[in-house]
Amino acid sequence: MNGHISWNGQVLELFAAAEQAMRQVPPAFPLEATVAVNPWLGQVEEDRVIAAARMARAGGGRMVLPRDTVAAMIETGEVTQADLSDAAAAHGLSAADLRRAATQPASPRPALWTVAELAQDETGVDWPAFVEERISHWAAAQFDRGQAFWPAPATGAWVSWRAYASRDLTSGLAGLSGFAERVQALPTDARAAFAEACAALDLSDRAAPLYFHRLLVTLSGWAQYARHLSWTAERDGGRDTTLFELLTIRLQWEAALMDQGGAARRRAWAALMDDYARPVEPDADLLLDLALQEAVDRSGERRLADTLSDGTAPAPAEQPAIQAALCIDVRSERLRRSLETVDPAIATIGFAGFFGLPIRHRAHASDTVEARAPVLLSPGIDTRSSTSVREDTSARVRLRTIRAWGRFKRAAVSAFAFVEAAGPVYVGKLLRDALGFAGASGDEAAPSLDMPLAQRIGSAEGILRAMSLTDGFSRLVLVCGHGASVTNAPHASALQCGACGGFAGDVNARLLAALLNEDAVRAGLGDKGITIPTDTRFVAGLHDTVSDEVRLFDDALPDSHRPELVRLRTALAQAAALTRTERARALPRGAADSLAQRGRDWSELRPEWGLAGCSGFIAAPRARTTGRDLGGRVFLHDYDWRQDRDAATLELILTAPVVVASWIALQYHGSAVAPDSFGAGNKLLHNVVGGIGVLEGNGGTLRPGLPWQSVHDGEQLGHVPSRLVVAVDAPEEMILRVLDKHPKVRALFDNGWLTLVALDDAGTIGRRYRDGAWEDRNLPAARVSVAA
Amino acid sequence: MSLLLLLGPLVMAVSALAMHLHPPARAHWHLRLPELASLVALAAGALAALDLVVSGPSTGALLGVGPIGVSARIDLVSVAMTLTVAFVGWVVLRFSRVALDGETRQPAFMGWMAATIAGVLLLVGAGNAVQLAVGWVATGATLHRLLLFYPDRPRARRAARKKALSGLVASAALLIAVGLLVGGMGTSDIATINAMAQAGDGPGLLWLVALMLALAAIFKSALVPTHGWLTEVMEAPTPVSALLHAGVVNAGGFLLIRFADVLVAAPGVLAVLALVGGFSALLGAAVALTQPAVKTALAWSTCAQMGFMVLQCGLALFPLALLHIVAHSLYKAHAFLASGDAVREVAKIRRPGPVAVPNLLAVARSFGLALALYFVVGLAFGITSKPPQTIALGAILIFGVVYLIAQGLADLAPRALTWRTVGLSIMATIAYFALQQGATLAAAGTLPAPPPPDGLIWATIVLALGSFALAAVAQTTFPLWAGHPATAGLRVHLMNGLYINAVSDRLMGRWTPKTGAEQ
Repeated sequence: MNGHISWNGQVLELFAAAEQAMRQVPPAFPLEATVAVNPWLGQVEEDRVIAAARMARAGGGRMVLPRDTVAAMIETGEVTQADLSDAAAAHGLSAADLRRAATQPASPRPALWTVAELAQDETGVDWPAFVEERISHWAAAQFDRGQAFWPAPATGAWVSWRAYASRDLTSGLAGLSGFAERVQALPTDARAAFAEACAALDLSDRAAPLYFHRLLVTLSGWAQYARHLSWTAERDGGRDTTLFELLTIRLQWEAALMDQGGAARRRAWAALMDDYARPVEPDADLLLDLALQEAVDRSGERRLADTLSDGTAPAPAEQPAIQAALCIDVRSERLRRSLETVDPAIATIGFAGFFGLPIRHRAHASDTVEARAPVLLSPGIDTRSSTSVREDTSARVRLRTIRAWGRFKRAAVSAFAFVEAAGPVYVGKLLRDALGFAGASGDEAAPSLDMPLAQRIGSAEGILRAMSLTDGFSRLVLVCGHGASVTNAPHASALQCGACGGFAGDVNARLLAALLNEDAVRAGLGDKGITIPTDTRFVAGLHDTVSDEVRLFDDALPDSHRPELVRLRTALAQAAALTRTERARALPRGAADSLAQRGRDWSELRPEWGLAGCSGFIAAPRARTTGRDLGGRVFLHDYDWRQDRDAATLELILTAPVVVASWIALQYHGSAVAPDSFGAGNKLLHNVVGGIGVLEGNGGTLRPGLPWQSVHDGEQLGHVPSRLVVAVDAPEEMILRVLDKHPKVRALFDNGWLTLVALDDAGTIGRRYRDGAWEDRNLPAARVSVAA
Repeated sequence: MSLLLLLGPLVMAVSALAMHLHPPARAHWHLRLPELASLVALAAGALAALDLVVSGPSTGALLGVGPIGVSARIDLVSVAMTLTVAFVGWVVLRFSRVALDGETRQPAFMGWMAATIAGVLLLVGAGNAVQLAVGWVATGATLHRLLLFYPDRPRARRAARKKALSGLVASAALLIAVGLLVGGMGTSDIATINAMAQAGDGPGLLWLVALMLALAAIFKSALVPTHGWLTEVMEAPTPVSALLHAGVVNAGGFLLIRFADVLVAAPGVLAVLALVGGFSALLGAAVALTQPAVKTALAWSTCAQMGFMVLQCGLALFPLALLHIVAHSLYKAHAFLASGDAVREVAKIRRPGPVAVPNLLAVARSFGLALALYFVVGLAFGITSKPPQTIALGAILIFGVVYLIAQGLADLAPRALTWRTVGLSIMATIAYFALQQGATLAAAGTLPAPPPPDGLIWATIVLALGSFALAAVAQTTFPLWAGHPATAGLRVHLMNGLYINAVSDRLMGRWTPKTGAEQ
């Protein structure tokens, strides 16, 4: 479109700057199926210190714990003197300076101003809030997925905003007269409008990248939601310009506010542009902040090392009676530990909960395609719930009747009739929900996989090898996904399985169990050197992370396996009780026997802690960690490097599950330290908008990330951010080889976003990775850095 | 038995005081005290209902000096309102006990919630006008503290300020009305006042009293154009919204019903109420359609429902207005508390495929079917003997049913869906008539019947019928025209609530340049 327009060099530079700025914005997925995203995804390729400085200038919030929190941790001994000295040395500071800094307030680090702030400073009118409110008002309708009865016309963002803003009379009432007329006269092409606004601002290409980033930060969740559109489109080989159009829209306000002001505003702006053009550099105070966070990170690493070196691990059982594969999710750790405790003949395995099947699933009587796969992957396997056409049709008629009644309830004239005819029914609904009597939804029919046999065999082989499960099969193998039964929770999907794209893991687990039970697939696997004994059966399960109960999908299990099934059921029930007892201690008002009820309580804002507290990732055989209390804070991925000759599995682990785990850990980190930028705010004020996200209260921008109640228990942080420690049981050179192949993954470790350590032969944490080499963890870091 | 309805406000107030004097620690069982108090209030309401059934309406003795003091009225209005408020109060207090766990100021919150409920209970159970006024003012004051539960939020402060201004006007108008009544009639007893007004023994300024009552109701129930605060107070925790929309905002309507005989004596004021109410109903409903945020849409819907209820008052259909208040309270309390399900709801709507769009023929057939339904069910309920106001209101509600039927008559709708929507329509119509009939019968003797229509009333009826019929046609044919470019502007203006709030923001100085201001 508009291919005939040719741009001059200056404008092309500005387009590039916009592109650069847009890549600084992390994607935010809609709440219908949300997954954790690293809020600093756009900065991972630069050092954490530089990124912190950049975010501060762009107004993107802080990146590290506040100093008083760290001071308190020093006080209680959680952060030791050794942690402090290590951290100080790593940042070229003295430990004493660092310790002193913890008790001194950090200097405020205000964001660079936009033209809206210049106008506010000059006139006293809160223009930044006004612009935010006007854009949010439009954006809420533009991105609405079905909340409003009368939706915005389905067009692109720029066209839609132009139509909206040229009619909206609010800005005139607020004193910015002529804005609607101004918008009316703007070009219909977003790029032309972008160029016009930049020209009106006299924007220099050196100031542009950071300035554009700053503008996108003012749009907060809306920009991040738009970024998710382009991020997903790019992943699937497409392209989406919504975020660029949003930037263009924000620029129009800047241009209008510039023209509203006089020469003084222009002068102030010219000076401001110099600030934007200056390279991003951390100051000494920021360095102290980062070093204090480093001390907390080191303390987390130290605690994990202590746990792993504490005593000797029990020898693994000879041949387990039952094997149970669960998701690597940190919540599985407790259940796995309990399960192995109550029945030592059960061995557990950790693997990403989508079980290697990136599916596009269609549930019963549904047109919606659910991408049940990690968002890093483009889901390619179509599956559906296998029900008869007749059942499907009658279910649809039922759902459509409910929908018609719902529309009757909300439409303009009928809403009055609805209240008078059906209002009294709500006595019952209020009673039911106040007392938590709402029933659970029924079982979904078994999913079916439509895939040629060769491909099925190929998938099965790849999955088993990635699980390091190629022999030693027990008679019964449990394939267990997880999900959370909660009610009245806008962020429910954040509690589901991240590896399943924010859905529960039952569908994927059932598909894999069925796949591995298929005779033809087993025959094919035999040809590839994986022999599954004929008397081995796979059964799928779903771990409810609110109640810790596991539901088994055992319809197809032959009678011959009843004894094992009974044994598994008994063990699961006992393990659930054990897990609940442990978990109840960490939950406010927690009692082991009431945890399941929390999921049914419509007023419960903390049904469970989700992945709060996550701080480690261990890729090793389970024997390395069996019997150690990792406190539900560690992702456990089974990995046996001796079976991984070409390092293909390690490559997979470091590029997929580790990256997903880092996104989760950093999301919790961001929502805890920068709740205004990367947190969804107070659940008590949540106002769901468009079915995709929440506003906090009556307005403002879309709030991405996790709510405050999900990271804070009311008195203290429920998630104390500490850098994720990735511990890999593999030879150091083998790990380096994989990192060299994947510079983007390597950047995560080189730039201080993640810690990488190797497990030594004793099963404890050995040396730490640092800039392409390995250093001893207990050596003073300063000496090491000189040596390196 | 005459003190029964004073027990509720008393225990609620005591529990509120307990929260303030001895703030319980986190998760302490004392946080259940307000909840228990609301159960006591509910039980007292139930006993009062029993008393009403057994011995009929009564007013207890006034404990106080002269016309000033407390007394409880037991009749359909006070009992129905007490039961509703106590029940909704129990639900929101129970919700708050868990939802606010971990908030440092939870005890204060529970206390102010209990105090607000005490105020409303004092108001609705009042046997005399002075007590009613005290309850009215107290409710506004305690609610203000709840709206400012997060005092640092600028939007919360702005909304609370608007609400305070609105409340001030409403309170002033009510105090003038009460002053005129007590001064002119020599009594504060509500039943006596109504009886005197009915008998034509009112003071000469009765029309002014009615006008002041109407003004107070309009401001308290947030009818357009005084609605600004109502659609902006999602800045307080969800249970506050639930209580506000289900228990507090309808105090305006309650006031009109309470002094029904006074209003019937002032037909001009009734006509004004019908106009303001009808306008609010249609505008509020239209704006609600365009709102993409769930609580905002619910708030606009309350504005519309309050308008509709006041329209019913304007048509002198007081028993129906009472029914509407009760039914709406229950529905809206649930809708707010369950608003966290909106993500799931929106996803669910999309699942069974696109919504079938009825064409003009289907719309016409739906209108025919709905009117036939109205006729048949109406005949069964003896509609021919009802006053024209009742018949007109029934027709307005039937316009709503048209929409339900039309969804099933769309060409693309499967036959099974058609049958089901028709079935639902029949059920809704029967339920509506049964409830209406029940409310009218129960209120006989307590609330006045609509006066025989004169020219003014006929004009009001025709205007209401016409505008709602037009709105129903627009609603049912909505998908056929909503996408048209010509309506894009209308949508933008409606989304902005016709800028009434932008104007009030400007009047309140939000956009006024401040010299040297900095923040």
